[in-house]
Amino acid sequence: MAAGQDFYETLGVPRTASQDDIQRAYRRLARQYHPDVNHDPGAEDRFKDVSEAYDVLSDPQARRRYDAFGADFRQVPEDMDPETFRRARAGAGSGAGAGGGRARGARGSPGFGYSTGEPGFGYSSGDVDIEDLLGGFFGGRGGRGSRGWGPIPGADQEAELEITVEEAYHGTRRSITLSGDGARATLDVNVPPGVTDGQRIRLAGQGGRGSEGGANGDLYLVVRIAPHPRYRLSGRDLYLDLPLAPWEAALGTTVAVDTPGGEAKVKVPAGTSSGRRLRLRGRGLPNPRGKPGDLFAEAKIMVPPRPSRAERRLFEELAAESDFDPRRQP
Amino acid sequence: MVRVRPARLSLDDFAMATGLHPDLVRRLVALGVVDAARDPAGDLWFSRGQVAAVARVQRLRAGFALNYAAISLVTDLLDRIAVLEAALRGARRPGR
Repeated sequence: MAAGQDFYETLGVPRTASQDDIQRAYRRLARQYHPDVNHDPGAEDRFKDVSEAYDVLSDPQARRRYDAFGADFRQVPEDMDPETFRRARAGAGSGAGAGGGRARGARGSPGFGYSTGEPGFGYSSGDVDIEDLLGGFFGGRGGRGSRGWGPIPGADQEAELEITVEEAYHGTRRSITLSGDGARATLDVNVPPGVTDGQRIRLAGQGGRGSEGGANGDLYLVVRIAPHPRYRLSGRDLYLDLPLAPWEAALGTTVAVDTPGGEAKVKVPAGTSSGRRLRLRGRGLPNPRGKPGDLFAEAKIMVPPRPSRAERRLFEELAAESDFDPRRQP
Repeated sequence: MVRVRPARLSLDDFAMATGLHPDLVRRLVALGVVDAARDPAGDLWFSRGQVAAVARVQRLRAGFALNYAAISLVTDLLDRIAVLEAALRGARRPGR
């Protein structure tokens, strides 16, 4: 967001917060949102907002000016009297938003004096770099975010991408919306056929932004295959229940089943009991590099819930005739 | 055109890739923040993965004002957490 953010709100502290409170809030949020700790694509922007807020509020002079002049305090001359400013602002009328346009989108705009040390604004980071062994190397270019390191590449980010079993089988295209720096970018992502749960798709350069010309990080989309009402997945192998009538299981049959790749015929051998897995080789998820997975149809014997009179009679006949005992120990 | 990426980088190439001064790189190696191999001639060699590692060190330092001992600890812990999280993801996957 950043546009016109309230620094106190960003840090979640009241306007009366002490320097200690502010520092504590900043440390807590920084730990939570630092791009190397939190790989969520939204974390980086949050971290930048938090850092920006802390940069101002941790410096007593900058904080005083922020309190007096608001978000565009950097544009207010050093010697401006807060009272005069307030009167001038009120006089300018409420319609135009009184110079608020300047504050909007301030981040990264030339008017935003992070490290430039604008004339008349003697800003220095309140957070003194202790024991900076290497400070001399780059000649003291101040400011958080650089600290004399020069360009810093962005962090890698991770986001989940949930797809269906069918999409995993056929491949799919997804539009991913990334928000960053206030702008939104939409990426068309090609998910190739045969991705597996947990697989990572790398989008080079779409991760965290580098600072001062550093390269961007990569965005990794972690594929999650959503639970499916009919299919269960194990790697590239697909499992599904194959409901059978008792006589189909006893006598054998051929059943058509829907698979992600279309209809397939499963040959059920005579004498199939519940739990038997009938394999259809290569009918699982495809594999771009090697053998595709298999499809397993698991026999599940069902009986008529309300047998007709005739069915009942036939079952009774069968019960009288048969000496089969499924519980007999071999 | 395909450019062959060498498996390991010399000090100068590494400094170029990371945008750091070679003296700073040498210092980071001495501090144990960056891993490097030393050949019999005494020259430093870096693996490609160390480029990303240095970027993370830079971000952690900029974000938390950590000293180098702390950065080494944090990066070690982050790596261990990443391994554990990957294992956890693997265990949670619906398997049979």
